[in-house]
Amino acid sequence: MRHRLDIQIGPVAFRIGSAWKEPLDALARLYEPYPAPRDGLSDFTVRLEPEKPWRRFIRPSVAIKGDYVLPDAVPMALAHGLLAAEMGMNLQMALGQKRYLLLHASSAEKDGRAIIMTGESGAGKSTLAALLGERGWRLMGDEFALLDMDSGRLLPFPRAVSLKNGAIRVMEAEVEADRFGPRLEGTPKGDIRHMRPNGEALDRMGEGATPALILFPRFGEAQAIRAVGAAEVFMRLTQASTNYVNLGGRGFDALNRLIAANPALAIDYPDTDTAVGLVEDFWRELAA
Amino acid sequence: MSGSDKEAVGGEAAEGRAFVPSRRTVLVLGAAAASTVITVRPALAQTAGSVLNCEIPVPGPHAGGNYIAPDGNLVPPGTQGAAPPLARPLRGEEARQLLRGNTPPGVNPQSAQAYANYIRRLQSGMSGFTCYASLQMPR
Amino acid sequence: MAGPRYVADPEDLVRVVELDGLSALFHEPSGMTHIVAAPAPQILDMLRAAPADAAELLRRLRACYDFEGDEAAESIHARLEELETAGLVRRA
Repeated sequence: MRHRLDIQIGPVAFRIGSAWKEPLDALARLYEPYPAPRDGLSDFTVRLEPEKPWRRFIRPSVAIKGDYVLPDAVPMALAHGLLAAEMGMNLQMALGQKRYLLLHASSAEKDGRAIIMTGESGAGKSTLAALLGERGWRLMGDEFALLDMDSGRLLPFPRAVSLKNGAIRVMEAEVEADRFGPRLEGTPKGDIRHMRPNGEALDRMGEGATPALILFPRFGEAQAIRAVGAAEVFMRLTQASTNYVNLGGRGFDALNRLIAANPALAIDYPDTDTAVGLVEDFWRELAA
Repeated sequence: MSGSDKEAVGGEAAEGRAFVPSRRTVLVLGAAAASTVITVRPALAQTAGSVLNCEIPVPGPHAGGNYIAPDGNLVPPGTQGAAPPLARPLRGEEARQLLRGNTPPGVNPQSAQAYANYIRRLQSGMSGFTCYASLQMPR
Repeated sequence: MAGPRYVADPEDLVRVVELDGLSALFHEPSGMTHIVAAPAPQILDMLRAAPADAAELLRRLRACYDFEGDEAAESIHARLEELETAGLVRRA
């Protein structure tokens, strides 16, 4: 392809090709401090292509292609090319990841122990993890958590955080301007702004953590907290994993070890600061 | 799904051993219509928003101008009670709203049920099927 | 007239983990995972020991457990159908 960028994110190396320069320029700025993959090898390829050859120039629209694709995918405007690149990388992980049990969850680490936060899009897990990352925790990831099925450790996937709508303002108030990508308006997911994790998260992207707490956050509700039973946790985590069904007995054993070893809580909260408080309270109790 | 245990204690003397109370547990077999086995299925629904920008044309290109009956089947244009084709495809999020019984902006509430049932009838190979499958959350 | 006889796979082919009140099962031959509630685990135990049709299964269960209500026969058929659909029992 005409333009190319290679990026290492945690244990995964991506090659992103593009027919247009602009999305890769934006991606390169956002991912500037990230390492390049060793030996130029990549695990997954993403390609941003015109849907038809002439669509490279006329009303340009970006089709997301790569090692793995989904039918019915609709091309995106060139102005949203950075988002298309992100979705392309997510797609490769969701469909192609085999080495680790993939959880659609955010995660953050403190003192070598990690919280896994999972829920539907919009539930608040990305914003909560991003905020913890600015409040003394290490952000491990906002979208995917990787569970090593042999060791039971959680591995980081500290891609640029995808902030939506209201969450953009929350993080703009906490984080310096040069860690943000452009503001993308009117995307299929609403307004989006990407935020690079801080220096500590990037420096330690090769370092895993031991899971210690499973959290089901729900944003936009009155404050509430309840323990979640093992059967419900099991059910919800299998639904939060895009590759569980492909991993057979190893996945079954790893998931059960994770659940048996760790408490699980559902928290409802009206705003992210409240959530951070709830998490810190519970974490202190756990440590005691 | 539920099971329950109650214990009725009886007793018998087992040979050579002290008196051992025997317990009979109540086993709930469940109503015929109940569900006691849930199979874990491939799950793209939770991640769908992050990986797939999709649309569902209602109806798909094969429909040739036909309208949509309240049960979701295609019927000749102008059939009484049937909904007209949508001018533009539904975005994934709009389809999700419809399937939940809500009416997304720009959709005639009278037609919402017809469109929702059309979507539910989508089969593999039809335009919009993958999008529909990605919206599914399990029971 | 006796109905079809069912059998379940031996213990070493099915991993069972008790969760709160339910069981998670991994069925190695199919690679599939199921979450099951009573009486599924008890039925699987019985059918693992030896094949049985619905009537025989009911007899074995009655020997160990008490039932509530009087729809046992209908229930057993429904449970067997569920387990067969899931691939956890098959016709012997």
